[in-house]
This record gives sequence, C-alpha cells and structure tokens, in this order.
Amino acid sequence: MKVDIRLMGKLTVFFTIFAFVAVLPLLPASAAAENVVKVGNIIPLSGPSASVGQQGKQAREMAVAEINAAGGIKSLGGAKLQMIYADSESKPEKGVAEAERLINTEKVNVLTGCWNSAVTYPTTAVAERYGIPFIVPVSVADKITEQGFKTVFRIAAKDSWWTRDQFAFLKDMEKEFNAPVKKLAFVYENGDWGKGFAEQWKALAKKGGYKVVLDEPYPSTSTDLSPVVQKIRRVKPDVLMLVSNAADAILLTNTLAEYKVKLKAVIASGGGHADPSFLKATGKNARYLFDIVEWETDVNKPGAKEANAKYKAKYGYNLAGEAVDAYLAMYVLKDALERAGSLDPAKIIKALAATNLTSGPGMIVGYDAVEFGKDGQNKHASLVMVQINDLGKGLERITVWPKSARRSGYTPVFPMPNK
Amino acid sequence: MQMRASFAKWRSLHLTFNRDADMNFILEGTINGILMGSIYGLTALGLTVIFGVLKVINFAHGSLIMVSMYVAYWAIIFTGVHPYIALIIVVPVMYFFGYYLQDIIIKPIFKAEKDIREPITVIIVTTGVWYILDNLTLLIFGPQYRSIQNNPLRGKMLEFGDMLISVPKLWGFVTAVITAFAIYWFLQKTRTGRAIRATSLDREAASLMGINQFKIYNIAFGIGTAVVGISAVTLVPFYNIFPSVGVLFDIKGFIIVVLGGLGSIGGAILGGIIIGLIESIAPMFMTATWAEAIVYALFLVVLFVKPSGLFGVKYDW
Amino acid sequence: MTRKNINTSAFILLGFVAFGLPLVLRSPTYLHIIILLYLYAYLTTSWNLVGGFAGVLPLGHSAFIGIGAYASTILSLQYGISPWIGMIAGGLLAAIAGILIGLPTFKMRGAYFALATIAFGEGIRVMVENIDNLGPLKINGPRGLQIPPTHIGFGNFMFAGKEPYYYIILVMLIGVLAFTYFISRSKLGYYLNAGGEEPEAAMSLGVNVARAKLIAMAMSSFLTALAGTFYAQFTLYIHPKSVMSLDFSFEIAFIALIGGRGSIAGPVLGALLLRPVSDFSRIYFGSTLPGLHLVIFGTVLILVMIFQPRGLQEPLSKFYNTLLDRISGQTRQGEVTHEYS
Repeated sequence: MKVDIRLMGKLTVFFTIFAFVAVLPLLPASAAAENVVKVGNIIPLSGPSASVGQQGKQAREMAVAEINAAGGIKSLGGAKLQMIYADSESKPEKGVAEAERLINTEKVNVLTGCWNSAVTYPTTAVAERYGIPFIVPVSVADKITEQGFKTVFRIAAKDSWWTRDQFAFLKDMEKEFNAPVKKLAFVYENGDWGKGFAEQWKALAKKGGYKVVLDEPYPSTSTDLSPVVQKIRRVKPDVLMLVSNAADAILLTNTLAEYKVKLKAVIASGGGHADPSFLKATGKNARYLFDIVEWETDVNKPGAKEANAKYKAKYGYNLAGEAVDAYLAMYVLKDALERAGSLDPAKIIKALAATNLTSGPGMIVGYDAVEFGKDGQNKHASLVMVQINDLGKGLERITVWPKSARRSGYTPVFPMPNK
Repeated sequence: MQMRASFAKWRSLHLTFNRDADMNFILEGTINGILMGSIYGLTALGLTVIFGVLKVINFAHGSLIMVSMYVAYWAIIFTGVHPYIALIIVVPVMYFFGYYLQDIIIKPIFKAEKDIREPITVIIVTTGVWYILDNLTLLIFGPQYRSIQNNPLRGKMLEFGDMLISVPKLWGFVTAVITAFAIYWFLQKTRTGRAIRATSLDREAASLMGINQFKIYNIAFGIGTAVVGISAVTLVPFYNIFPSVGVLFDIKGFIIVVLGGLGSIGGAILGGIIIGLIESIAPMFMTATWAEAIVYALFLVVLFVKPSGLFGVKYDW
Repeated sequence: MTRKNINTSAFILLGFVAFGLPLVLRSPTYLHIIILLYLYAYLTTSWNLVGGFAGVLPLGHSAFIGIGAYASTILSLQYGISPWIGMIAGGLLAAIAGILIGLPTFKMRGAYFALATIAFGEGIRVMVENIDNLGPLKINGPRGLQIPPTHIGFGNFMFAGKEPYYYIILVMLIGVLAFTYFISRSKLGYYLNAGGEEPEAAMSLGVNVARAKLIAMAMSSFLTALAGTFYAQFTLYIHPKSVMSLDFSFEIAFIALIGGRGSIAGPVLGALLLRPVSDFSRIYFGSTLPGLHLVIFGTVLILVMIFQPRGLQEPLSKFYNTLLDRISGQTRQGEVTHEYS
C-alpha cells in the first residue's frame, strides 16, 4: 500500500506543533530577570468587564513605573516590580486556572485582582492554599474578607460599608436641606453585586424608617429598560437607588430622562455609573445624579490632582475610584516589601498585616491611612459621595460628602430641580 | 419563596390600583412593547431571510448587528448627517459584507457537504465568525461604550396627556414596517426574489430550473445582512455601541424567527412585537428578570406545539 | 508483530503514561490544565452519545452540568451528604431532565432541535439565577454556592493536592470511553446509527428510533451531571454563569464536532487539540491583546470546518492506520506484505 507522503508530512508538522505547544506550559511565559519582585495580576481584560479591567491595568502600570523609576524596593537592593497580567475573562474558573499558573509556573511573589467578586472568591482560596499574599484592590463583596483567610488583604471598603454610607448620606442630606424622604425604590442589576446591595438596603431601609415602594432586579443585559422605568414612574418614589453596570447605567439614565421621571434624588453605587464612558454617553441626563465611589478627582489630598492629570494625559480619561484602588495597592505593596526586606511569602504577609500607610504618592485616597484588620480588611477605607453637575465647565463629578471632603464653594443640589 | 412573594406583591398591587392611572400605564407599556418589538422584529428579519433560504443557523447574526452599528456610528460621526441618512452608506456596505461573507467563508462548506440538507458545520463556522468579529472589534476599537449624543432623535418623546412615546422607537417602527413590505414585495414580484423563494423551497429543483444555487445564497445573505444594517440604524439613535452588543440580540433573534415562522416576513415582525409586548407588560406584574424566563418558556411552547411558527408554512421538517 | 498486538501494546503504553504522569510531572499548573483537559474530554464524550450517535446537535448540555453541580453541592452543604452520593443523585435528576427535554425535542429536525436545546439550557439558567430558595433548598441565585475547603478526605470528595483529582477524572474518562465503546457495538448503538442516517427505513424495520434516542439522552445527561459534581468539588465555587452558561454548552459541542462526532476517539482528540489552543492563546496573548485568543479560537474553528468537516479524527485515524500498516507489515485485511522479524 502506498503511503500518502503529503498527508504524512502534514500530520508530522501538525504533531510537532502540538507537542511543542503541549510543552510550553512548563516554561514560564516571562523571562526570569535578576532581582525583581514578580507580581501576578488577574483582571478581566476581555468580556463584559473589559473596560474596568483595562483601567485597573493602566493604573497599576502608572504606579509601577513611578516606583521603579524611584529606585524600586530599596530594602531588596533596588529590586524592580515586574508585572504579569492574566485575563480572567470575568470567569471564576479562568481566574483559578490563572492563579495556579502564576503561582506555580511563573512563581509570582504576590497576586492582585480580580475585580469581579465571583472571580475573587475562589481565586483567593487558591492563594490561601499556597500561602501567597493576595491584595484585593476593588472587589467589594463582604465575603471576601470573611472567609478567615490569612493571605487576603483588601483595600476597598466592603459593600456593607458602601450601603451604610449611602444611607448615612441620605439622612445627612435630608437634615441639611430640610427635605424629608419617605419612599425608596431599589433598582439593581440581577447579579452577585446588585443582589448583595439590595439585601443590605432592605435592612437599612427598615432601620431608617423608610418605605420601600419598589424592589426591582433587572437583567444587566437588557436591550430595553423602559418597562423598569415605567414601574419607577408608577410608584413615584422620592429617592431611587441604583446598582448598574456601564451599559445598563447609560440606558437607564437616558430612559429616565426620556420619560421625565420626577425624583428627589438618584443615588448610584459606582461601577457602571463611574465608568468614564457613562458621562459621555448620557450627557445632561446624568445631571444631579449622586454616586458613591472610592475616590473622585477633586478629593482634597496632595498629589491627587497631579496623579489624575498624569493618568488623563496618558490614557485619555480620568482616574476612576477603582483605578485609584489599584494604584494605591501597588504603593501598599511597595511599603510592605520595604518593611519585609525579603521575598519570603510569610514575611510579606506579616509586613502587609502590619501596614499603616499614611503618606506617599499612593495616598491620594479620601481617607488618611491604610491599615488592615485581622480579617485583611482595610479599616479606614471610606467612601465619598459625588454629584454630577455642570458648573460652567461641562459636566463633572463633584465630591459632596462627607462634609469634610466636600469641594469648597459647592453646595449640593438636593432635592433635584424638576423641569 | 421568591415566587410566592412576588405573587403576593402582585395581588396587593392589584388591590390598590387606580383604574385610570393603571389603564394609562398599560396602554403606554403596550405601545412601547409594540414599537420596541417591531425593532426586534426588524433585527430578526434579516435572520429569517437567511435562515429561510439557507436553512442554517447563522450564529454570527449578533455580530453582524454589532458591525452594522459600528458602521452606522462611524458614518454618522464623520458626516454629521441625520442618522437615517446614514442608511445610504450602511445598506450597501452591509450588503456586500454579507454577500462576501457567504461567498468566501460559508460557500466552501456548502460545496463540501452538498447532500446534507442543513449542514451543521456551517453553524460552527458562523460561530467562529462570531468570535472573530466580536473580538477583533474589541481589539481594534476597545471596549468603551459609544453613543451618538447629539443626533436629532435622541431623547425626543411625544406626549399624549400622561403618556410618553419614544420618537426614535416610532421611527424604528415605521422603518420596520416599510422594510418588511419592501422585502415582501421584492420576494414576490422580482425575478431574483422568486428565484430566492424557489431555492428555499427546493434546492435541487431550483437548480434544475437553471438557478445558480450559490449565487442565490450570496444574494440572500447580502440582503439579510443589509436588513440587519437597517435595523442597526434604527437602534443607533438611542442605544449604546460596544463590541459585545450583538450578543444581546442574538438569541432574541432566533426566538423571534422560530416564533414567527421560518422565512416568514410578517412572522418576524409580529414575532418581534410579541416579544416586545412580553418584555413591556410582564414586568408590570413581576420583576423584569422573570420576564426573561417567560420569553424562553413561550419559545419552548411554540417549538413543541407549532414548530413551524405562527405564520410559517409547514415544510417537511 | 501483528496489527492487533501493536494496537494493544499502544493502548497499554498509553495507559502507563496516563497513570504515571503525576509521578513524573510535578507542576500543579500542568496538572491543573490536564485535569481540565480530561474533564472536557469526558464531557465531550458524554455529549457524543447524543450529539454523535443520535445524530442531533444538542447545544444546551451545560444545564446537566449545572444540575449535577448544584445537586451534589446543596446536598453536601445543607444536609452533609457525601458528594459521591450527591453525584449519583444529580445524575439521576439530570437523566430525568434529559428525558423530559428529549421527549418533545427529538421530533424536531436539525436546526430546530439545536434551538430548542439552547432555549432549555438558557431557560434553566435564567430560572436558577432568579431563585434564591426553592422551598428549604438554598440556591442563592446569581451569587452561587461556595464550598469551604475544610473537610478534606475521600468521603468528602475533597483533597489537598491535585493528584487525587487527576486520578478520579482519569478513571471517569476511561470509564466513559469504555461505556461508549460498548454502546457503539451494542444493539442500541446500531439502532441509533440507523436512526441517525435513515430514520424512516429504520422505523419500517421495527426499530423504535425515538426510544433509542431517549435512552441515549438519559445516559448522556446522567454522565454529564457526574462531571458537574467533579467540577464543583474541584473548583469549590459554582454559580449559574459558570456551570450553566451557553458558552460552556457551545464549547463542549464544538470540541466534539471538531474532533469528530460519532467516533469514539473524536471528542477526546478534539479536547486534546483545542483546549491547549484556547488556554495558551489566553496565557500568551490575553494580557497584551485582549480577546485575541478568541479570534484565534474562532479562526481554528473555521479552518477545521472548511478543510475537515467530519472532524480531525478522520485524517488522524487514517494516519494511525497507515502507521500500523508500515510497522506490522500487514494491511487491514490481514494480508502480510512484508516480513519483519
């Protein structure tokens, strides 16, 4: 029988490629350089959260460039931070696989990530198993620091603090402007984040004596939110509280404006509402919206304006609260590494646990210190409430609460003027 | 249990209804459902033509919507014209995009599996096209959400007493109806149209009659994609544009096509309207998230009871 | 050496390699990737019972993975029942679901069947996402269920290292391959084959095609659900978008199709070839050019379908046979062409 040389040739080539590809995971994807600290970063670079994932990456790069230019980690002989990024695609199983790879093949010394809380839970479990320190800049779900892990350190406030602050803000506004609020409407994306917030809102509303007239989860991927807006119109709430991702935040804000829904205030929860494309896509429909975030560009802290200007010049849009957390996370890491003076994970974890960072380029956040409690939660993380308004220079986000952080000369508009 | 809770809420809402205000809301919701639904139908119209003629599921459908939206977006941004004038650019561009997509990528499969009536490999190929288009767009244009802020249609509403009707959606409705009639006329009255119908009924017989099967496929795909382009133009004035926007319309498109009946023009529009009505009215009685489940349930019921859809002709499926 | 001998020795060698791999390969990353690869090979082979043998295109199989995962997880989290038992329970539940889905859908042809399975898959996912509690059972909607890594032990289907998981999934994979082999040679296998190609002819000969398909569906869904439990115990966190997503269903179906459905080795080959492509393009390109790995995956899909629509298993098995011929000096018919000592 004749042997088909061409077929055999094709298949040989094919098998060689396959064998080569199969061997690749044994090799680290990056060359091992001298005297570096390898930092693995698992963030969503594709998929529905790609926009925020990219911002997180950019903020980290900016911080790391500054740190390395200033001489790296001095106690490690000037070691530079080497960043390795992995795309989680917002999927937990990919996050876990990447964590395994970064720890075992790339041999990273620290991990950061993952933005989506659903990805962060199991991924931190992987780090915990291997004893590798894991800094969580942003994921807010309470559970992340409630699992009893010793290696997890979270910079952002937990979501129960977010909701607590939203209600505290509301009470303060009612007092300051003598505008009582009775009826609340909760409209939130039907995911982990939205549902988590809604549960806490319901409890807080009960405590605060408010009446919940609407409790409406909606699919974040809706193509038309008019039915939801009509429901809002129908129940005539005083205040509307939202948890949305970017696409639906834009859709909801525009639809609310189209249907001329009259409300005393709209309080959003960051996320989609804080996305840079939100303001561009909604324009004046977003005016007077309140949003709770980690940070805003006008925060009264030294270095904040400069950092934002630098970021904007490089990437084209303002730093968002979440990007700032990522930026700060790098400085927290630097501080811990300096004190640890070693790449031993246990020493790094100990140094992180003892963090009390009060100054430095990273401290552009609204609060004064980064200090982790026994559960790994940053005790001082606090939030600010901004209002979107146009003061003559176009729409911007203006910090209004706590009163101590309020931009000087600005009085928040509460309730919203109804045209 | 959540279901019991929302049912109880519905009951209590019922008892406190104000008859007049309630009627207003239902009417407004119904109108919105019809308008939005007709736009859904328009997005599915291209799909039903392609599905009806080529007999394959085109999983790249959502991606084609997305591409059309980007084309429309750039056309409007660069020329600054009224969105609907962009049709002049979008329709031909999308026609050729679809035509060559079919010609270059899908035709070879058809030729290879000539005897199988519904080549399954085409489904895989169109999925590959979907992954490629969506992610190339992500790579090239980035994940940001774009929209056309300053177009003359944005945010305009018509007021009828207490009711508000969205102007861009109204335009969409009119466009959907006109396009449906135009396609219907084309298929019934023109030579090419009749050739397309012949091919969709019986491939072999049609080719025996001298119709070039593959040329017809190309044309059908081109027309289907051009219609997708039209639907994108109706969406662009009030919707966001981003790389994964097509995914939202993809499954809905297939549900509508099956609901309305494969290859039925009127069926696509009416199927879309039904979906639109469910999405608008169901949330009045339950949370919006259950409305999604109802749509799937309805889909399954139709598949079981009358798979040829509401207006489909019973083929020898 | 005869053909048969070589064939057998090749299998034995493969067995040694597979079982011995963890002893040689220490890197947990590599093990993790291979475990997932076996999992996909298992899933695609189970899918093949319906998608290959019964000749239809089910695109909603992730629903069964979800049923399996949720069943065993709820039983172990809330009632302390061992996941092994929960696994069987999940399998039975999935089999029932499979029959219920199959009853109306098998009457449909091609594209309609595929769409119906998509609708079922998505419908189940949407329902699970909307339900927080089903009576006494805590389902937790979109937030999913997390399994605390505390009770290590075989009875609890939880292990500290990766090796036990490796062996479990390897045994499962061999089991399902053997099962498929026997089914293909059994009466059921022939009925399915006949029913797939010429249903009318088969029925006229008295073959109950519909029943055969339903049995295949029940088996396929049962087996798929077992993998759901494995997945839950391996990754320790499940939520609707991860275990019941459309992407998952599609991935399984497409891997099987590219490998070559209807054959036994096809799905495994598909997994062996495509999983690395998807993983490595994500690893190497994911951070610099996001989404590129999906572009590559999509291109591979298209190219394979244009050039090898029956799946890659065809040319590869031809190659294997040719190799066997050269080495043994025999052709398939057994005539000896060359004497080797």
